[in-house]
Amino acid sequence: MREHISGQYDAELDELRAMVTEMGGLVERQLQAVCLGLSTWDADPAEPVAALDKAVNRLEVSIDDACTHIIARRQPTASDLRLVMSIVKAITDLERIGDETTRIAKMLETLCALPALRDPLPELTEMMERVQSMLADALNAFVRVDEERALEVITRDRAVDRAYEALVSRLLEAMEASPERLRSYHNIIWCARSFERIGDHAKNVCEYIIYLARGKDVRHQGLGSAN
Amino acid sequence: MTDTPTLTFDPADTCLKVEQLSVSYDGKAALREVSLTVPRHRVTAFIGPSGCGKSTLLRSFNRMNDLIRGVEVTGQIHLFGEDILAPKVDVTVLRRRIGMVFQQPNPFPMSVFDNVAYGLRLQGLSDQRALEREVEWALRSAALWDEVKDRLEASALTLSGGQQQRLVIARAIAIRPEVLLLDEPASALDPISTLKIEELIGQLAEAYSIIVVTHNMQQAARVSDYTAFLYLGELVEFSATDDLFTRPQARQTEDYITGRYG
Amino acid sequence: MKTPSGWRSGDGALWLSTGAVTLTLLLTVTLLVLLGRVGFGHFWPEPLGTFTFHPGTAQAPLVAAQREQGAFTLAEGGMETRTLLRTGNRDTAAPDFRWIADASLRSAHFDPAAIELERRSWGPALGLLAPPKAPAADRAALAARQWARLEEALALPSQVRTGSLTLYSADGSARPLPLAEVVRAWRPNAMTFAEKLSLYFSRIGAFISEPPREANTEGGIFPALFGTVLMVMLMTVVVTPIGVVAALYLHEYAPQGPLTQMLRIAVNNLAGVPSIVYGVFGLGFFVYLVGGSLDRAFFADTLPAPTFGTPGLLWASLTLALLTLPVMIVATEEGLSRIPRQLREASLALGATRFETLRYVILPQALPAVLTGVILAVARGAGEVAPLMLVGVVKLAPELPLDGTFPFLHLDRQFMHLGFHIYDLAFQSPNVEAARPLVYASALLLVLMIVLLNLGAVLLRAYLRGRHRDPLG
Ligand SMILES: Nc1ncnc2c1ncn2[C@@H]1O[C@H](COP(=O)(O)OP(=O)(O)OP(=O)(O)O)[C@@H](O)[C@H]1O
Ligand SMILES: [Mg+2]
Repeated sequence: MREHISGQYDAELDELRAMVTEMGGLVERQLQAVCLGLSTWDADPAEPVAALDKAVNRLEVSIDDACTHIIARRQPTASDLRLVMSIVKAITDLERIGDETTRIAKMLETLCALPALRDPLPELTEMMERVQSMLADALNAFVRVDEERALEVITRDRAVDRAYEALVSRLLEAMEASPERLRSYHNIIWCARSFERIGDHAKNVCEYIIYLARGKDVRHQGLGSAN
Repeated sequence: MTDTPTLTFDPADTCLKVEQLSVSYDGKAALREVSLTVPRHRVTAFIGPSGCGKSTLLRSFNRMNDLIRGVEVTGQIHLFGEDILAPKVDVTVLRRRIGMVFQQPNPFPMSVFDNVAYGLRLQGLSDQRALEREVEWALRSAALWDEVKDRLEASALTLSGGQQQRLVIARAIAIRPEVLLLDEPASALDPISTLKIEELIGQLAEAYSIIVVTHNMQQAARVSDYTAFLYLGELVEFSATDDLFTRPQARQTEDYITGRYG
Repeated sequence: MKTPSGWRSGDGALWLSTGAVTLTLLLTVTLLVLLGRVGFGHFWPEPLGTFTFHPGTAQAPLVAAQREQGAFTLAEGGMETRTLLRTGNRDTAAPDFRWIADASLRSAHFDPAAIELERRSWGPALGLLAPPKAPAADRAALAARQWARLEEALALPSQVRTGSLTLYSADGSARPLPLAEVVRAWRPNAMTFAEKLSLYFSRIGAFISEPPREANTEGGIFPALFGTVLMVMLMTVVVTPIGVVAALYLHEYAPQGPLTQMLRIAVNNLAGVPSIVYGVFGLGFFVYLVGGSLDRAFFADTLPAPTFGTPGLLWASLTLALLTLPVMIVATEEGLSRIPRQLREASLALGATRFETLRYVILPQALPAVLTGVILAVARGAGEVAPLMLVGVVKLAPELPLDGTFPFLHLDRQFMHLGFHIYDLAFQSPNVEAARPLVYASALLLVLMIVLLNLGAVLLRAYLRGRHRDPLG
């Protein structure tokens, strides 16, 4: 995209993008931390998540501020307008992802106090991997306004949902089989649910990317119309 | 250009239909094969960088370009289906149907009242009461009445720049044209007067077809239903205003309205 | 930042322009003062001296007014001062102006009985109301008696006056002066300043309001003044509409091509044609061709005595109108071109036709420029002499061109003109010294008349401009 005649305006938009990237980075670290903790059954790696969440929240407020400022001062139109609008929405989703990771981190503390599971949970591992890559790719696509990749990320949400469903039925069986670990399973379901939500948020971010790129709103319309 | 993103309207909703219009001054092209349809009873905005031909296009509609030596016009313009570039057209009648407000306020060196009454008197209205009524209506519509009602006999040249701008708008609407061409009607106005004029434009659009040229994109976005973007004498894009300002289809439009034009 | 000094500071230019303006003003003032002093000084009652001369000079004593001092070179070398004496009495003791060497002057005294009389013919008479050698008491009584009779007679119209006055010369000889001949009389040596002042203004008034006498060296210049004003007005009436219409055509209607440009240049060049050429043209075209044809067509019964086929007021006005036409056209066009295009467009965009635009917007705006043209044309026209000599101006016109007999304005009549009057006084007068002050006085009047005419036009223009004044200029 060409530069604006007003260099200051460009600088402001760049600054905005940088903040979003930073926020995305923080959220990614939160997600990585809880995934690590969950797969090693250890609460320690997830310890910084709460502090990170504070930073994420602060960033969300600053980005909101910056967007308000740009709208008031620059009256952005067309792609600039769409960029600002997408960012305003995307940061809400990122913040929610942050919240979900905080919730998982809390859950992790109770989980680790409980006895470890007997069987591995491959669906959970799959979910964690998928969600992490979805978020990373969504953030990447956001930075590059890469609508191809955004579309592709959206399609990947399905797999996460399926893994979630599979995990839930497996855990239900496991609960019946060993009721003494009911609390652990229950907590894991909550974690899985959070991961599933994180996938949804990543998908939302990708929808904004498509709106940003094409000026077309693809939310709630299924993938058919996005293509 | 055949791939210009453009709109067409039902013949019944078409006010002006421009086809392949080219205008050149002394052989220098100012407009190149512009084709567009201006809808009836709507506000259409023309935007584009300085010198892109907005005024030229506007002046083609009421044949003001005829007055300039060395001007050459080809193509067609139809006003409600009537060819207005035909040589047999009576331009004085045409100009009563298509009123124009010029880029620079140009009040006559007469009293405020006489300025507004000028066009009415030309049409043979001489009854003082009727004149007063019409003048008051026009001045009120142009949001000027309260400021000048006590100095109707004062010279129009004693008005401020913004007042003069509203005066020439009042003068143009006094003769109740069918189409109103406004070339930067608010360039010298304060924000409140600007909003009043924009409000007026909105009201007038119920009965008139209005074309506004403006350099203020927010203004175009606020007042118009449709917007045409002209660049270097060519029509780049003509879309509904909502679309043009959120998702322009042409790269040049995008660059221009986001301030990337260079 | 360094402030520019020297020439670049602009001070130099300021001084230069101020200097130029001052110089112009100075010249104008000098002109007016000179004209006023010599011309209007003439009407001030000069003291009358009784001069006696040394026996050797063979010059009889004189009653005279001192005019000016001069110096001349003697044949045997050396300089001598001398005095110009105005002695009047052209009928009995010509010449009426004499240079007298100061060395030959023995004495001069200012006798209260000295009197100056303005006469119907022969110019002023200067003399004494009582014999110079008589006893003082008798003299005073006689002088008073004569003055009383004179005043009594002057109150009557000249036709019913009878008797005469006895006027004594400086050497004591007496002669009768018929009272019917006297126009005005005064005893300058016996007058108070107030009396002199009132006499002064009444003489100026007479100069302006009376017809000339004595080959224009006496009396007033009213016919010339009147003729000039009338001719200038006629000229204005003719030139203004033609000039305006021509300018309108050139500027509004003519296709702006090389042809129009050439026409414009031709008009401009017409302004530079010597005025006498216009006179010749006026004589050949207006007088002989047009006037002659008119005579043959309408006044055939009076031929061969011409009616319009001879120089006259109409032809003079038309000739001057032609002469000032370029000025008028140029000034009007200038005014038209200064009207902003936006005004025209505003009018046209409201559905006005070209004519309506011209009538309601352009012309009112161009009116000040038209008046500027009128001012220039008047200034030029009123000052012209040469062409007028060919087409209607005469040295002495028996009747005014405007009078009470039908058709009141006699366009065929010849008339008098101030400019020509001045020329006539200055070059054709039989009595140079007597005519000289009148040349200056007439010149001053001509200048004042032009100033007045212009002032009228300027005020009108200011009024028109002021009506819709743009506060920003
Ligand atoms: N009377 C004229 N004679 C010659 N060229 C002209 C004339 N009027 C306009 N032009 C040229 O035509 C082109 C278009 O001019 P136009 O006045 O239509 O521009 P515009 O879009 O109204 O610009 P602006 O926003 O500055 O008013 C310009 O390049 C201008 O130089
Ligand atoms: Mg313009």
